[in-house]
Amino acid sequence: MAQDNDLIRRACKEFEQDLVLYYYGERGREESKELENHLEGCGSCRQFLADLRRLLPLTVKPDDPPQPFWENYSKEMQERLAAIAQRGRWWRDLASLFRPWPVPALATALVLILALTLTFGKRIWRSQDLPPDEEAVLEILPMAENLDFFKAMDLLDSMDLLEDTGGPGNGSV
Amino acid sequence: MTTSRPAEFEDEKLVTLAQKGQREAFEVLVERYKQKAYRIAFDFTRDREEAKDLSQEAFLRAFTHLQSFDLRAGFYTWFYRILVNLCLDYRRRRGRIAWESFDEKTHMAGGQSEMAGAISSPDREAMSGEISRRVGEALQALPAKQRTAFILKNHQGLSIHDIAKVMQSAEGTIKVHLHRAVATLRQKLAELV
Ligand SMILES: [Zn+2]
Repeated sequence: MAQDNDLIRRACKEFEQDLVLYYYGERGREESKELENHLEGCGSCRQFLADLRRLLPLTVKPDDPPQPFWENYSKEMQERLAAIAQRGRWWRDLASLFRPWPVPALATALVLILALTLTFGKRIWRSQDLPPDEEAVLEILPMAENLDFFKAMDLLDSMDLLEDTGGPGNGSV
Repeated sequence: MTTSRPAEFEDEKLVTLAQKGQREAFEVLVERYKQKAYRIAFDFTRDREEAKDLSQEAFLRAFTHLQSFDLRAGFYTWFYRILVNLCLDYRRRRGRIAWESFDEKTHMAGGQSEMAGAISSPDREAMSGEISRRVGEALQALPAKQRTAFILKNHQGLSIHDIAKVMQSAEGTIKVHLHRAVATLRQKLAELV
């Protein structure tokens, strides 16, 4: 590390972040002027900025896929979107099968099942080995959707977890 | 020519149509953002196929959760957040990124690369490959937040303001991440070149 420090001088501590922002054009006219004045008299900061100009472009490796790649990309997307839409239709059709069934009876059965589940726990629920009736199916469908949804939200929230800025976050991504 | 062409609709209108079940409207959004989406995924994965899969996955997630999208927010920002999160998740899942395949594929890209174009001798090419590999390692070694802020700024050219929105973070925090990433990379790369 000592060797690194010998080879690569740090910029002035109070100017280093500004130099990074200056390099990226994120400083206003006044701030830039102030920085430029400092640069005139500071070799370390000049070296720092010169290094950024020399080195940072190396981190970008261009990739220019040929036209067939993009055509294929669009085609694949259309197919995958169509598949999702088709799946959505299938679920809707399935759900519509149960629509004509008497709603109060379904609701009563559902309440009973929930009460049983809460009372006797998962093991009893499983050991009874109930046939997959319509109530269960109707209950599972939205649950499955929610699971998928929450999985996605977990992913979205992973960024929030990484961030330590606090703040309530309104949850609407 | 007329405003009735979906390709000319604004994002908001396309999202509204897609929410009503018009898949074609969403396909317009895909066409509009696919290159940007691919490029950001490529910056994270450095692998053409992985970048394609990842960016497509982001579109699919956006499509399946379109109903939960708040029209007051910009589609671009919302979508990019999904994509960036996927990119982070991808790295976590894969552990190591296929840096090795990157150079190969870039060279196969048809000589459009300015670096490949400028360097012709085998020695120089090998050296540039080695530099690229080391750059990849240096990027990979950065903490996730620093790498993300750096890639969004340095590669994608987003403003600090937009990066803060995508990363749901304060602008000051983004500046710190960016500064630390750049200082680390400068240190590591200066030893190479
Ligand atoms: Zn200085």
